[in-house]
Amino acid sequence: MGYKRSRDEAMVEVKTEQPASPYIPMFEGFRKELDEHHDRREKIIKASRDITASSKKMQVASIKHRVRSLGQPVPQFVNKNNTQYWETIDKQYKSIAADVQGLNAYRYERNITGGNQEFMESLTFQHYLETQTLISYDESKSRIAAMSGEGGPVLLSPEDFILGVFDLIGELMRFSITSMAMNGKLPAGKPKKYKNEKKDAEDEQAGDKMDVDEEAPAASETQQPRIVLSDLREIRLRLEMFEPPPGSKFADEVEKKMRVMRECVDKVEKALYSLTVRGKERPKGWMPEATEGRRAEVESY
Amino acid sequence: MAAQSGMVDPAIFKDLQSMVDQDAALRDELRDIIQALEKHNRNIMFVLSRAHSTPVANLSDVLKAAEEPIQNVVETVSKLSQSASKLPYYKFNSMWSRQVQEAVSGILFWGWLGGQKQDGGESKCGRLLTIEELGEILKVPVNLKDRDEFHLTIEEYLQALITLVEELARLARNSVTLGDYERPVLINQFIKDLHAGFQILNLKNDSLRRRSDGIKYRVKDVEDVVYDLSLRNLLPKKEVEN
Repeated sequence: MGYKRSRDEAMVEVKTEQPASPYIPMFEGFRKELDEHHDRREKIIKASRDITASSKKMQVASIKHRVRSLGQPVPQFVNKNNTQYWETIDKQYKSIAADVQGLNAYRYERNITGGNQEFMESLTFQHYLETQTLISYDESKSRIAAMSGEGGPVLLSPEDFILGVFDLIGELMRFSITSMAMNGKLPAGKPKKYKNEKKDAEDEQAGDKMDVDEEAPAASETQQPRIVLSDLREIRLRLEMFEPPPGSKFADEVEKKMRVMRECVDKVEKALYSLTVRGKERPKGWMPEATEGRRAEVESY
Repeated sequence: MAAQSGMVDPAIFKDLQSMVDQDAALRDELRDIIQALEKHNRNIMFVLSRAHSTPVANLSDVLKAAEEPIQNVVETVSKLSQSASKLPYYKFNSMWSRQVQEAVSGILFWGWLGGQKQDGGESKCGRLLTIEELGEILKVPVNLKDRDEFHLTIEEYLQALITLVEELARLARNSVTLGDYERPVLINQFIKDLHAGFQILNLKNDSLRRRSDGIKYRVKDVEDVVYDLSLRNLLPKKEVEN
C-alpha cells in the first residue's frame, strides 16, 4: 500500500484547473462518502495490524517464559507480561467496534480478518494451556464481543476461527519442541509432574470464567493424562475432516494452511521419535531434530 | 462439554461445518439469479451496439428495442434484491457486483442516447442518469447506510460511468463515420465534465482507481476526433461560435 496524497492538496490542485462541470456537485457527494469509507477502512486495517502484532508477542512470550504445564493457570509472571498485550488488543477492538456494525460488519471483514485470525491463534493457545481443550467458536465470539465494548460486537466469522485453529497447531508444535528440549519430554495433562510456579498462579485468574481445576482432565485418576501430541493429532483429524466450500477463497486458504499444519504435526512426531530412540543420551539443552533450521520457515507463514 | 473426552468438543466442528455449508447453499441459490442477470445484460449490449451504426434519426427504434431486455434486467435485479436482502449485504456483494455494474452501464448508455423520455415526451441525447434515477429504474435503494439490505453502491455506479465513457469514446469515432459531426462535440464536452468529476475523488489503490486512470486517454481520443473535424472545417457552425 502506497502513501496517500494529502486530501487537501489534491482538491486544491483540481479546483484551480477545472472550471465548472455540471457534475461536480454530484461528485462532491461521492467524494464525501468515499472518504468516510476509506478513513474507516484505514482505521480498521491499522487496528487489525496492532492486534496481530500484540497477539504474536503474546504467543512468543508464552513459550519463552517456559510455560511447561497444561491444564492449569499460566504462571503469574507470564500473565503479567501478557497483560499489556491483552490491553492493546482490547483497546483496538473497542476502537473499531462502532465502525463494523450492521451493514459495515461484512464490508470491512477482510480488513479485520488478519487481526482476528492472529488473535484466535493466541486465544486458542492460551485457552489450551489453561484447560487442555479447544475453545469453542461461540465462546471465542463472546470473548471478542466482550472486548468490543459498547460499540457492539466485532464480527468473528467461522472462517476466522478455523484459520486461527490451523495456526494454533504451529504454536503447539513450537511449544512441544521447546518443552522436549528443556525438559526432555512432551507436556502432558498431569500437573503434579511439574514443579512449576503453581502457587502464584491462582490469584491472577480469579475473574476468569474458566474453572481450570475442574476441567483439567488429569483429575480423573483412571485415565492416562493426554500428551500434547495426542491433542495435536485430534485437531489435525478434525481439520482434515472439515470441508470448506469448494472453489471459495476460503478453501484456498485452508488448503495452504493444511499443508503447513501437517508438517507441524509431523515435526513433533519426528522429534518425539528421536527423543525416544536417543533420549537417554541426550545432553542437557540438546534440541531434538533440527528445530533451529526449520523454525524460521514455519514462523513465516 | 461434559461429554467431551478428548481435547476437542465434537460439536464445535459440527456446528462450524453446518454454518459453512449453509453459506455455500445460499451462494448456489444466488448464482442462478446472477447468471440470468448476466444473460439479460448481454441482450442489452447486443441491442445497443446497433447505436454505433445507426444515425441519430433512426435511433428511436434501437432504443425501443432495448426496453425489453432492460425490463428483464429490472425484474432480475428485483429478484436478486429480494433474495439478497435477507442476507448480510457485503458478505455476498462481490458475487453480483460486476453484473450489477454491467446492468447499470447498459442503462446509462441507453439513457445517454435518449432512451428515457423527458417530461415533454421528447428524447434527448447526452443525458446522464443519476444514481438516484438508476435506483428508480431498477427499483432498488441506492447508497444505503442505515440498514443492511440490497442496494446500488456508489462504487458500482462509478464503475458503470467509466464503462459509459469508454463506450462513448467509441461512439464519437463511429458518429463521424456515419457523417454525424455534431455528436463528437457533445461527447467531448460530456466526458470532459465526467473526467473533471472523477478528478476530485480521492481514490485509493483499487480497481476504481486503476480504471478511472484510463478516462484521460478516452478524453484524448475524443479530443483527437474533434481536432480532426475542426482541422477540416467540418464542425457544425453553431458549435464553433460557442
